[in-house]
This record gives sequence, structure tokens and C-alpha cells, in this order.
Amino acid sequence: MPLDLIVVTPQGEAFAETVEQVVLPGSEGDFGVLESHEKFLTALKPGPVEIILPDGSSEWAAISDGFAEVSGSQVVVLVDECFKAHEIDLEHAQHTRAEAERELAELLAQSASEEARVEVETTLVRASAMIEAHGRHHG
Amino acid sequence: MPTLSDIKRRIVSIQSTQKITSAMKMVSAAKLRRAQEAIEAARPYAQRMRETLEEVGGGETNHPLFEQREEKARVEVVVITSDRGLAGAYNGQIIKATEAFVAERRTGATKVSLTIVGKKAADYFKGPRGIEVSSARPVGPNVNYLEAKQVAGGLISRFESGEVDEVVIIHNEFVSAIAQNAKIVPLLPFVPPVAGDDAEEGTEAQAPYEIEPNPERLLTSLVPKAVEVELFRALLENQAGEHAARMTAMENATKNTEELIEKLTLEYNRARQAAITSELVEIITGAQALE
Repeated sequence: MPLDLIVVTPQGEAFAETVEQVVLPGSEGDFGVLESHEKFLTALKPGPVEIILPDGSSEWAAISDGFAEVSGSQVVVLVDECFKAHEIDLEHAQHTRAEAERELAELLAQSASEEARVEVETTLVRASAMIEAHGRHHG
Repeated sequence: MPTLSDIKRRIVSIQSTQKITSAMKMVSAAKLRRAQEAIEAARPYAQRMRETLEEVGGGETNHPLFEQREEKARVEVVVITSDRGLAGAYNGQIIKATEAFVAERRTGATKVSLTIVGKKAADYFKGPRGIEVSSARPVGPNVNYLEAKQVAGGLISRFESGEVDEVVIIHNEFVSAIAQNAKIVPLLPFVPPVAGDDAEEGTEAQAPYEIEPNPERLLTSLVPKAVEVELFRALLENQAGEHAARMTAMENATKNTEELIEKLTLEYNRARQAAITSELVEIITGAQALE
């Protein structure tokens, strides 16, 4: 039953608790981790994370791209950023997403450099992940 | 001979300077503490990143960012300084180290250009120094990871495209609150950490990780992250070093104002005493003349 989830970002440890189960957005699709999962290492894509606490309630968070390392009873998630659902400012995220969508359309129209496009896309994906995590948490 | 009011005015002016320098010292001390906490907070991430890299990259040497090129047509130097001055020799030593490095590496076939982070270096190299600057940006009040990611991303794509053959960082290493040394760190080609250096007994016996999608693909996204982390660490150390250097500089300045005020107060008292004595002499001679 015990599964230690540790989420580490360059800003520090974002989350370190014992959980029942965690569902992560892997690069090859979402996957859930229960205790004594086999040793496993994968890339993560930006998206919502579901954390099921020992009391059965679930908590949501949004992560950026990164990695997950599963070994026995421990899951270590390495990401650039992690926002818990209740910390997310929905209005701000929606505004950012709308802005990024508009910018992206503009960049595509004028065939801008790939670098600029990737940057806007990153912002877009990030905002979308935040909105989704927020929505699941409150829905 | 300055008059009493001249001396008084100077004392007041130095006292207000002292208030500023001691306030700056305290602000820097508070910021230094926060910057040190940020370094501490980043440590676990960097540590785990290295472990993961060892796990995946062990033996793998053909990643494009590992490629050592024989001929180096262009070397890119990431110069990191602070945005503001009043920090003693802090920025000066970086600029000096950069100039020395450029002079050493710039030979016939090799060109050197600078990617600058920090207004101080940007202002300096903007002048006619004969060194090409490819980009310059301020450090900003707080280092954040996304910024490090942006700078690193630019460098990585220039390295991959072959425009740049080597990247090094020149920054102040935060040794302690009183010592910061200019340090040259190679960034690209990236040298993968070698497993086994600090591996504990028995770790090798453990079952290997199942890696998804596959080690090559995972490495492709892992290595750029390791480069970002390295740059982020340099920016954090620069931030802590800047505040530490300013704290020391301001402490010295405050000490100097104290000495100066002491000297001027002595001078002020002497001048006052001289004035009283000469008044007394006048009165006494006046009285004697009447007798």
C-alpha cells in the first residue's frame, strides 16, 4: 500500500508524501503506479497528474515535461515545474492560453523561426495542463 | 583652515552616506540568505538528474551533444555577471577572466563570441572591445529556471547545427560569503557523468530499469535538461555571489565612513577649542588693556 511520491523541481521539492496510487502523463501515454511496480524509467509530457491519497481522495497537479523513476515503493518525478490544482490561478491560465493560441496563429501565418514557435507552444501546453488539472480537481 | 560649519556639513553628509551603505549591507545580507536557500533547493534536482543520467547514459556515447569536435571554428562563452554595481571586484574579475580566456582561445581559425547574462558585462562589452557579442540579456531580480532553459535551448540548437563547436561558462563560483572566484566551466560538448565514481556497494547488483520509450530517445530529452541544470546552477551561484560581494563591499564602506566621521569629529572639536581659546585671549587682553 505505501508508495512514496517525491516530486522534485529545480526550485525544490514540490511534493513528498505517501500515496496510494499516482497517474502520470508518460510520453507513451498515461500510466498508473501502485506499490511494488517494476523498476521503470520514462519521459513525461506536460499534463495533469492524479494523486490518490491513502484515504481514497484524489488530488490533482499540473506538471511540465520531465522524467519519472519508479523503483519498488518509490516514485521520483523530475520536472521543471509542478503546480497543485488548488494553487492554480484559473483565470490567469486561461488568459495565458488564449494569448498563446493567438500568438501561435500569428507565428504560423508569418512562418516564423522554429525557436519562437516552440517557445509559444511550450507556454500553450503548460497553460492547458494547468487548466485541465484545475478542471479535474473541481469537477 | 575650514570653518566649524564646513566641518559640520561634511560630517552630516558622511553620516547620510553611512546610512545608505549600512542599509544596503543589510538588504544584501537578506538577499544572500534567500539566494543560498535557492541553491540548496536546486541541489536535490541536480543530484537526481545526474543519477538518472548515469542510469540511462552509462556506456552511451553517441548523443549529438557529447560530440567532441577536432576543429573548433567557433567557441561560445557564456559570461555571467550581475546587473548592478557596488559589489567590489565582483564583476571586474569576471570581465578580466573573460578577456584573458578570449585572448588565449582566439587563434587563426578559432573565433570566440560571447553570450552575456548580466547588464554589467553587457555594458562593458558593448564598447569597442573587438569581441563579438552574440546576445546579451539582464539577469533580472530573481533567477528562474525557465530563463536558464531559454538560454540553454539557444546554445544547444546552435551547437547541434554546427554553428558553435564548444561552449563554456565563465561565472563567479560561490565559495563562501567572503570568497567568490571566477570559474570557467565547460558546458558543451556535454561530458556525461560516469557511473561508479560515487556508486555505493551493491547498487550494481540491482535489476536494471525498464526504460520507456528506449534509452536513446530518453537520453535525447535528458541531456538538454542536464545542460539547463548546469546553466541554472551557474546563475544561482552568480546570484548568491553578487549579494555576498555587495554585502562585503558595503560593510567595508560603512567601516570607512565610521573612521572618517571619527577623524572629522576630532577636527571639529579642535577647531571649536581653538575658537574658544582665541576668544578668551581677546577678552583677557581687552581686560588687561583697561587696567
